[in-house]
Amino acid sequence: MITTTALTKSYNKVPVVRDVSLRCEPGTITGFLGANGAGKSTTLKMIVGLARPDRGTATVDGRPFVELPNPTRMVGTLLDPSAMHPGRSGRATLTIAARLADVDTRRVEYLLDLVGIADAADKRVGTYSLGMRQRLGVAQALIGEPAALILDEPANGLDPEGIAWMRALLRDFADRGGTVLLSSHLLHEVQATADHLIVISDGAVVAAGRLDELLASSTILVRSPDPDALGAALRAARIDYVAGPDDVLAVDVSGGRVTTEVVAGVARDHQVLLTELRRSETDGLEQLFFSLTAAKAATAQEAAA
Amino acid sequence: MTMTIPSRTHGAEAAPSSVLRRIPFPRLVRVEWGKATDTRAARWLLALMALSTIGMMLAPVLAPRSFDQTYTSYLRIAAMALSILLPVVSILLFTGEWSQRGVFTTFTQEPRRIRVVNAKLAVSLLMGGGAAVFGGVVTAAGLGLASASGRVLDANLTAGAVTGYLLFVLINVFAGVALGALLQSSSIAIAASFALPAAFALLGAASKLVADWIDMSTTFNWVLENEWGGHVPQISVSVLFWVAVPLAAGVVRTMRRDVA
Repeated sequence: MITTTALTKSYNKVPVVRDVSLRCEPGTITGFLGANGAGKSTTLKMIVGLARPDRGTATVDGRPFVELPNPTRMVGTLLDPSAMHPGRSGRATLTIAARLADVDTRRVEYLLDLVGIADAADKRVGTYSLGMRQRLGVAQALIGEPAALILDEPANGLDPEGIAWMRALLRDFADRGGTVLLSSHLLHEVQATADHLIVISDGAVVAAGRLDELLASSTILVRSPDPDALGAALRAARIDYVAGPDDVLAVDVSGGRVTTEVVAGVARDHQVLLTELRRSETDGLEQLFFSLTAAKAATAQEAAA
Repeated sequence: MTMTIPSRTHGAEAAPSSVLRRIPFPRLVRVEWGKATDTRAARWLLALMALSTIGMMLAPVLAPRSFDQTYTSYLRIAAMALSILLPVVSILLFTGEWSQRGVFTTFTQEPRRIRVVNAKLAVSLLMGGGAAVFGGVVTAAGLGLASASGRVLDANLTAGAVTGYLLFVLINVFAGVALGALLQSSSIAIAASFALPAAFALLGAASKLVADWIDMSTTFNWVLENEWGGHVPQISVSVLFWVAVPLAAGVVRTMRRDVA
């Protein structure tokens, strides 16, 4: 199990990760979704002790990563497929990892086969394509027979066949009780791979939950010429929303409490004029993801103005 | 498509002992030793160092008039030869991780970074010792060649001279280690390892204070030539300046640095 509590980090006083709390359970694949620069990689690095959080904690199997006796036996990591010595062969790279993990080096041959680079095992990693490095990286992550995997953008550089292979491998790993946390900036990739989802935007978690629930939940889009007053009214009624472009607010209806009637009533009570009020008919998750990215752009515009 | 990964069940009930045990330090040292010697670049560098030592040893053999024909002067040739490339080897041992981004792997395999640093220090010590022994063997071969040519050599080798030789080699190794640990970039650290001693030698020409206390071509030569008398404070300051202080700062930086 992987958990974080209120992880927070700034680089040069610019907040990169803000109060990120997450929880990945055994037997599940958690997709960590966000645009490039949203803070995904920094969060993953803080979980494995490569970066120090300003505040907050992260644990793997109940302990901070840096206190795991032999971490590769507990959690396999693939954070940067280019972070392998180009002068070493794929086999040598895995053999080093196997020695440190104290597993039989026969596992090296098995994994070279499993990830499909046995033919290139004696070539130097410097000659590998990005896809081959991802495969080698996955093999390295699996070397210590870990119970959890932490992968940063594992689909990068893989061809469609490779992506399908990766999905099957991760699904199999999770089905046998493993915990998987993987990041991606591609919505459809996460949708096809993960069963839990954490959406991060501008360093903060903006949505989290089971994928099917997030997909089922739609939003109510409500528009007013006076979005500030509408926002204040919604907040007063304890209704969560996200500010989108063109004065649209996307209201969260995941709790089932909020309906279009409720929103209309709140607007009437606060005498806010509405020009549009409807359930979003498009794919809920996509709507959510794009509204969040748009909200971020809108905030940036406000900040610049 | 289905595939299975033979593996223990993921629960806690089947945890082999190596899951619960720290990586033993000797294993860390063995792995670091392997990493320092298993790439083509590393092997070329070691071969070059061996060849340059042998090449320089030919000088006193072939030009007896220009070199003292004594055991200690031959041994000093080996020391000078080793001190050119040996620091580069030890620099790469530390900077290679950052330059090749290997820290991503290394520090997730052993997140207690001080243990990795200690393993690398042990490897540096072993390499320095090995290089010193190799230099001794090359010296013996040079001396053998010289006496085979009918020359009479002054067998003036004392325990003090051998100790000075060994210390000189190790100081050079750890000066490289210190630069590598501090600067964490192969190109910058290697450039610095050649530029800084030269710069302080120039300054030493201008200032006797620098020459006596910091210029390693003066102070470390006292070590090599076993001339400790009256020089211990200067040698100590030099070792602090070139080894202890940058190494301590480098270890702190390695502990704290975020991997980007």
